[in-house]
Amino acid sequence: MTVVRTFALPLLRRIALLVALLAIVFVAVDLLPGSAARSALGRDAGQGELAAKEHELGLDRALPVQFWHWLTGVLTGDFGQTARGTSVGDLLADKFPQTLLLGGIALALTVTVSLALGCWWALRPTAFGARLLQPASTVAVAVPEFVCGTLLILVFSLATGWLPAVTITDRSGFPAGPEMLILPVLALAIPQIGWNARVVRSALLDVATAPHVENAVLEGLAPRTVLLRHMLPFAAPAIVAGYATSVGMLFGGALVVETLFNYPGVGAVLAGSVADRDTATVAAVVALTAIVIMMLLAVADFVRTWASGGTR
Amino acid sequence: MGFTRRQLLQSGLGVTALLLVAACTSDDEADGPAKQGGTLRVGALGTTARAERDPHANLSNDSDFLIASLVYDALTVPGADPTVAPRLASRWEASADNRRWTFTIAEGAKFHNGAPVTADDVVWSMRRLRSVGGASKMPVAENDIVAEGPNRVVFTVAAPNAQLPLLLRLMTFTVPQGTTDFAAAIGTGPFRLESYQGGNARLVRNEQWHGTPPLLDAIEVTMFDSVTALGNAALAGQIDLASNVGAIAGRTAATRGDLQVVRRANDTMLGVAMRAADGPFADARVRTALRLGVDRTALVNQVHSGYGTVAGDVLGTADPLYDAALARRDRDVERAKTLLREANFDTGRSYAFVTKAEVPGEVESAKVIAAQLADIGVRLDVQVVEPAAFYDSTWLNAPLYTVSWGTNDSVLFFADKLMTSTTNRNETAFRDPEFDAATAKALASSGAEFTKACHDIQRIEFERGGYLVWGMADGVDIAAAPVRGLPTLGGFARVQLERAWLA
Repeated sequence: MTVVRTFALPLLRRIALLVALLAIVFVAVDLLPGSAARSALGRDAGQGELAAKEHELGLDRALPVQFWHWLTGVLTGDFGQTARGTSVGDLLADKFPQTLLLGGIALALTVTVSLALGCWWALRPTAFGARLLQPASTVAVAVPEFVCGTLLILVFSLATGWLPAVTITDRSGFPAGPEMLILPVLALAIPQIGWNARVVRSALLDVATAPHVENAVLEGLAPRTVLLRHMLPFAAPAIVAGYATSVGMLFGGALVVETLFNYPGVGAVLAGSVADRDTATVAAVVALTAIVIMMLLAVADFVRTWASGGTR
Repeated sequence: MGFTRRQLLQSGLGVTALLLVAACTSDDEADGPAKQGGTLRVGALGTTARAERDPHANLSNDSDFLIASLVYDALTVPGADPTVAPRLASRWEASADNRRWTFTIAEGAKFHNGAPVTADDVVWSMRRLRSVGGASKMPVAENDIVAEGPNRVVFTVAAPNAQLPLLLRLMTFTVPQGTTDFAAAIGTGPFRLESYQGGNARLVRNEQWHGTPPLLDAIEVTMFDSVTALGNAALAGQIDLASNVGAIAGRTAATRGDLQVVRRANDTMLGVAMRAADGPFADARVRTALRLGVDRTALVNQVHSGYGTVAGDVLGTADPLYDAALARRDRDVERAKTLLREANFDTGRSYAFVTKAEVPGEVESAKVIAAQLADIGVRLDVQVVEPAAFYDSTWLNAPLYTVSWGTNDSVLFFADKLMTSTTNRNETAFRDPEFDAATAKALASSGAEFTKACHDIQRIEFERGGYLVWGMADGVDIAAAPVRGLPTLGGFARVQLERAWLA
């Protein structure tokens, strides 16, 4: 029963939420002015050609029917076709791994750096570097990815020539060199590092006043031991919740950052398909991104349950 | 008088052309003879969702069109003067009534797989273009495209059409008969497709090409989603050519010694369509008032960042027959006000002015025009709509909206496609018997008669047409300093990279 309550119910809730989200996507794209048929055929297409294309794309059916048809297709692994007739599944298989790579590295960097900074900040609040962190993390949180990316390009590419300004892909469809990942990853990670360093610090400061921590300090344990064994495990639920929030922010930011750096991910696919009113593609990108975020949130939930259960 | 003026103009154009040729020649001489070899890294705009491999489909990505234009050969391509140059077709003749056109396939034309190009391949491809791309890409019906012998193709049109070679430029790609899968991209063009991945491609020189062999070993095309990233890539030296990157990147590149800015004049017409058939702008005096009310120089400077030229309400500014002396209209606020009064134009209300962010500066142009026309008492309410929605409801219907066109080297093209009573793309709902007659005459004639009809068309457009053509945007490319032989013509001629080389 515990297993059902801990995992199955939240999972079902999330799946229901996902289906509702996708239904909203269908309605939202439908409400936008313009049509996918017009986008695919261009401005010279006549009414007859448009009607034929709409029929071909199934756009002449009622919206719930379109949604049901798409959803049942997805369940059998068929994401449908774009308005231009290419397979949405192929398109995503071509581009989604790159977004996962970008988001994954940015998340790993966010976790590592913000943990390190947050711990250091909590341990030595009066050190010069830690004092700098107060304004620096505020700025990092406040600056949007787009501005951050533009500044990085200006400084590290156009002014100094140290790093490439945009991503050029090789024949595999991935960036031609690892150096091309540096600026996009930084543009994504810096705002999240700023946010999470603050979360880590305040979570640690919260547990610092707990009796067992004070006890450990009085017993003369090394600060590192106190931090790793007596503070971090108790602060973990709050910290993991912070990272879970960042997952969504990272994927949202990836869409902007990909465009800025010409990074070959799903961001451009999503932007282009919204502009083209290509509902099937938009919904597929949203579904895939949502599934990844949901999986990471489930991992976060698991860690929190485990951490709070294990320490209680 | 008209004749002398025309002669003067033509000689003027001739001198300009000579100067241009001289300028280019001296440039080339400074670097010595053209060099063979090297890889040109080109960036072009495009988005994954719109990527298209079928050369006969709607190629809305610049990057896809660039790749197709280098891998496949169109029957004809743009030139400066004459505006149609041979490509897969080496020559063409019309019957006396301009209805039956015979195109001869260039000698030695071969597909990349070694097979010679036959008339059957061309007929099959052109018929497919018609069925996939529609009448706007192939104006001749499928049954009216037939082979005549092994290397000639005959196109027959219902009404005389002097423009057919021009209408067959750029999109008329020939593929081997029966092709259904375009992944291998077997074309006849100056470059062969070596690899393709998600909109990006690597092309290598086709040693067997029937034309003058290209000098570059390879061209690498990278697709860019945004002009900002495209410009940054060129500024950072990651690509050698940013195609159609726009005026803003051009301004930045102009300050850099390691980059060159290529300005291709008459690239994009950005203007206003005023509905002539009915509604508030039906009176020609009101349209003239609006035309007199705008400050064209200010518009070119503000909207095109100065990378453009002032125009005078006549379409087809790059046509060798374009009458630059006729098409001049300076701002005259008082005269505009007088005309509005004479026409009893209601200045008490405001008028919807619809625009969309389709080409750079389009929305800005509407805002600047609205501000300028307030000076003559016309209040415009600028409404920005989505391009897709625009073509569904505003286009061809609304009384006042912004328009843009990319092919600007033919006066007759615009007259026939956009302004005759019978066209289905009559953006200004312009119906004028004299104009229809002049257009029909031009389509059916050649030589002096053709020239005369083209001048009549321009005169009517200038006097009472529905377009407010205030200026032409330059196409702006930025390239690394050593790149030579780049296209200089406006519009889709930007894809003609087969003569490029690296110094």
